[in-house]
Amino acid sequence: MNSAIVVKNLRKEFGNKIAVKDSTFEVEEGSLFSLLGVNGAGKTTTIRMLTGLSKPSSGDAYICGHSIVTELDEVKAISNISTQETAVAPNLTVEENLLFMARIYGMSKQEAKEKVEQIIKQFSLEEIRRSKAKTLSGGWQRRLSIAMALISEPKVLFLDEPTLGLDVLARKGLWNIIRDLKEKVTIVLTTHYMEEAESLSDQVAVMVDGEVKACGTVAQLKELTEKDTLEAAFIAIAEGEV
Amino acid sequence: MNSVVFGKRTFTEIVRDPLSYIFCLGFPLLMLILMSIINQSIPNEANMDIFQIQNLAPGIAVFGLTFVMLFTCLQVSKDRSTAFLIRLYAAPIKSREFIIGYTYPVVIIAILQSIFTFLAAVIIGGIHGYSFSILNIILCMLVLIPSALLFIGFGLFFATLLNEKAAPGICSIIITASCMLGGIWMDVDGIGGALAKVCKVLPFYHGVTAARMALRGDYSDLLKPFIIIVVYAVVIYLLAVLIFKKKMQSDVS
Repeated sequence: MNSAIVVKNLRKEFGNKIAVKDSTFEVEEGSLFSLLGVNGAGKTTTIRMLTGLSKPSSGDAYICGHSIVTELDEVKAISNISTQETAVAPNLTVEENLLFMARIYGMSKQEAKEKVEQIIKQFSLEEIRRSKAKTLSGGWQRRLSIAMALISEPKVLFLDEPTLGLDVLARKGLWNIIRDLKEKVTIVLTTHYMEEAESLSDQVAVMVDGEVKACGTVAQLKELTEKDTLEAAFIAIAEGEV
Repeated sequence: MNSVVFGKRTFTEIVRDPLSYIFCLGFPLLMLILMSIINQSIPNEANMDIFQIQNLAPGIAVFGLTFVMLFTCLQVSKDRSTAFLIRLYAAPIKSREFIIGYTYPVVIIAILQSIFTFLAAVIIGGIHGYSFSILNIILCMLVLIPSALLFIGFGLFFATLLNEKAAPGICSIIITASCMLGGIWMDVDGIGGALAKVCKVLPFYHGVTAARMALRGDYSDLLKPFIIIVVYAVVIYLLAVLIFKKKMQSDVS
């Protein structure tokens, strides 16, 4: 299996504070990779660097072979992100938001329209396609935000805490969508919900104080920490028991 | 290409906000009508020609542009305060495309606003027996473009430097300053003294004067205020562009 993402000694410093300490890991093509960690562990900073939203202090990472340091334009063209906060144009309709993103990523009008229809169907947005984004509930806005990230047909999709603040039903709905995407797109997900990581991930990395302390499948992490659940394994790693 | 797509979004966001119609169109037109009515009550002996329709219309047109500044500022600061702009920073879109995409839609709005203002002025003028030269109206609208650029520059500048709550407040100060010190509601030349000197140091007076001269067909005196407002507009706009680019770089550093 090829690696869609190769991270090599990636480091980010903010003054004296080291947010990410020489992270090194790989993500297989078509897999779902979860980054776990407590608040301030460096998950979002890592994702920001991988998407060009923050420049690494040192080290590099390769997205489908393109360096985030020297080939950022290529990286931006093949990846997309759904940020922690919902990122939609409030006065545009669902359809217009999707069309806007497709056009920003270089699709022709016709291509964009066809892709919008496909995404609307895939994300079950038919009923709300003509509603302004600002009138949607939190769950629908988040769904739209992820749909907007996917409309550019990215090879790598970054989902930064996609289900944060959603109710159980909206969360389960998004899990199903994310599950459907697996194998078609390489996904990097950050989350605080252990059951989310356990349910969706092929591989999990645990970050503590900017460092990747452990990386492997859920089963491997449980075995490493001799714990029964991912949550217990995560706590053991985060508290430095292993 | 991305600047066109982004600009279309900016335009849609602004025109779908009902407040933009109230402030960018309704308020200037209301002031035009009100001041025209007030002008009817001013006796000729008062020698106050500032509210005569041929002087009032260019002043109101500049007054309207100050609200274009406010809406540029609101749009940019709103985008900056949400994750929407962050998402776009991760997309293949350059800083110059953002700037063009923020500028050209509001220039279109400014032109549409001027058209409505002068249409209303032509009707009011017609009622009171004053006829405008179409050529001079077109010239006046062209002369207003640097003022539009100046106010768009101010909007971009404050929205980039300040947060969503502070930026519109500062714009309100600029709106008041441009109305009072630009000679829209008072005769700066008639006042004279230190206040007139202050007015002439600031760009607003020159924008209003150039527009009035263009509408009057006073071509020989038009050049000086026009050049001054062009220089101010270019400097403020370029400064805003520079600040926006710097801020964008620091946002992704």
